Order: sequence, then C-alpha cells, then structure tokens
Amino acid sequence: MLQMKVRGLMYDPFNNAFIIILRDEQEKEVLPIWIGKPEAGAISFALEGVFTPRPMTHDLMKNILESSHAKVISIVITDLKDNTYFAKIHVYYQDSEYTIDSRPSDAIALALRADAPIFATDSVIQKHSTEELDRWLDNLRPEDFGKYDA
Amino acid sequence: MDIKLSVQGVLTDPKTETQVVLLRAEDNKEVLPIWVGAVEGNAIKFALEGILSGRPMTHDLLKSMLEHLGLRIQKVIITEIKNNTYYALIYLESGGSLFSIDSRPSDAIALALRSHVPIYTTDEVFKQRAGDSLDAWLARLSPKDFGEHTA
Repeated sequence: MLQMKVRGLMYDPFNNAFIIILRDEQEKEVLPIWIGKPEAGAISFALEGVFTPRPMTHDLMKNILESSHAKVISIVITDLKDNTYFAKIHVYYQDSEYTIDSRPSDAIALALRADAPIFATDSVIQKHSTEELDRWLDNLRPEDFGKYDA
Repeated sequence: MDIKLSVQGVLTDPKTETQVVLLRAEDNKEVLPIWVGAVEGNAIKFALEGILSGRPMTHDLLKSMLEHLGLRIQKVIITEIKNNTYYALIYLESGGSLFSIDSRPSDAIALALRSHVPIYTTDEVFKQRAGDSLDAWLARLSPKDFGEHTA
C-alpha cells in the first residue's frame, strides 16, 4: 500500500469531467481519477481552504463525526474495475474500527477535511497502468497507424 | 410549535439554475419553498424518485456512515431564516444521548428522505417566509422589470 497526496485537479474537456491527480510520496506513481463536477468542487474547496458560510455536505459529514468523537483514520483507494475506482473510509469510533464503502471522490473530500492520510493499494496501482494502456489502445484510430509507412 | 412537512417536489428555477424544493405543511397545506443548489436539488430528487445510482452518492455515504457507527437520525428541523438563508438541525441519537448538528436544509432533507425520518419546521419560519419571500422577490427585480408599459 502506498500513501498518496493530492497533487492537482484538472479539467478534462474531452469527457467534460475533472481529473484528480494522486501521487505517492516518492513521486514515482501517478494515479489519475476521473470525477464529476460537484465532487471536484467539494475537493477544490478543501484544497484551497475556501471557507463557506454554511457547511457543505462533506463539512456536515466531518462535523457529525467530530461531534460523535469519531475519527477518520485513513481512506484507501482499494480497487479499479472497468475504469471505476472504489474506496474505503476507515473510521475509529468507541474503541472499534469501521470500514465504509465510498466513491474515491467522497473519500478524498472527507480525508482532506479531516486531515486523514490517503492510501492506494498496490493492486490499484498495477491495474491502473494496464487499464491506462487498454484505454490508450482503445482510443487509437486507424489514422494513428501507418504514419511511417514508406 | 413544530410543524410537520412533506416534500412535494423539486422544481428548476429557469432564471437562476438553482432548484426549488417545495415543502408542504401536513396540517394546513401551506407551502414552504426553499432554494437549493443544483447538486443538492438532485440529491433530493433522487431520494424522492427512489433512483438508485450504481455508486453510493454523497448522501448515501452519509447515511451508510451513520448506520455503521450506530448513530440514529431522529428528525430534522428547519429552524430559521436569516437574510434569505435557511438553517436546519439534524437530530442524532447515540447510546441514549441526543444531539443536534447544524446543517443546510438541503442536506438535512436529502438525509431525512433516505433515512425515512420526519422533517419539521416552526411557526416562526412560516411567518418569516411570508416577508422574506417578498423581499427576495423585490431584491431580484432589475430596472428593466419596470416601466415596460410606459407610453
């Protein structure tokens, strides 16, 4: 398992979506995760430390956890299937640990607010490289070939 | 006194790209409209229409988190209006103790619908609503809304 940091948030005009870029501490691995616009908003507010007069949904989540003396231990990007990432949120509450399934975007939005570390499993990092290759091959068009034909 | 509300529907306000959640008092059928963002409006619409998305959306996650931790949601109350902003409280119970969390009404309603708990407001909010809606309407008027019929 590798600890990851949020390195950026970019707009992908081709898919009208946003990409959150996670990198490991040694900056060897890059994990790009495509997310929707509302989720990108929730993450960018946390990244930029934007204060909203009313609590946004992930702030509410954090406030409920704090009021209950529950703590987010970590979030883990656990799996990648058909270009969809899966995550788990680990919460410590009343001497027990609870694991809750989540979309990576919600998990990351919460982790940034709760100052919890973000991890990715080794299998996600390996699969990501192969799925990336598949996607790249899928996107190839006939005119991409044969450029070097004599 | 608390007034029980039911969610009648979510409308899109074509002028502002925001959505309006229509709440109706169960006793006298008075309507309380609350303007919410598009994302929050959809979160409420999904719950009303029972749409299941492939992945848990943010309020589904919130509900699942409460269930995992054994925090039981009791009710939500829309408590007041200040400067056209509505305030709400979510009441939670854990191990016999009751506590409330400050929330936007949109999150409170989205969560209440998913958890099947009642939504309340107070007489005060209904009274304030009458004045505030008019003020908000007046504030949105622009000069070109006047004088169209001058000779």
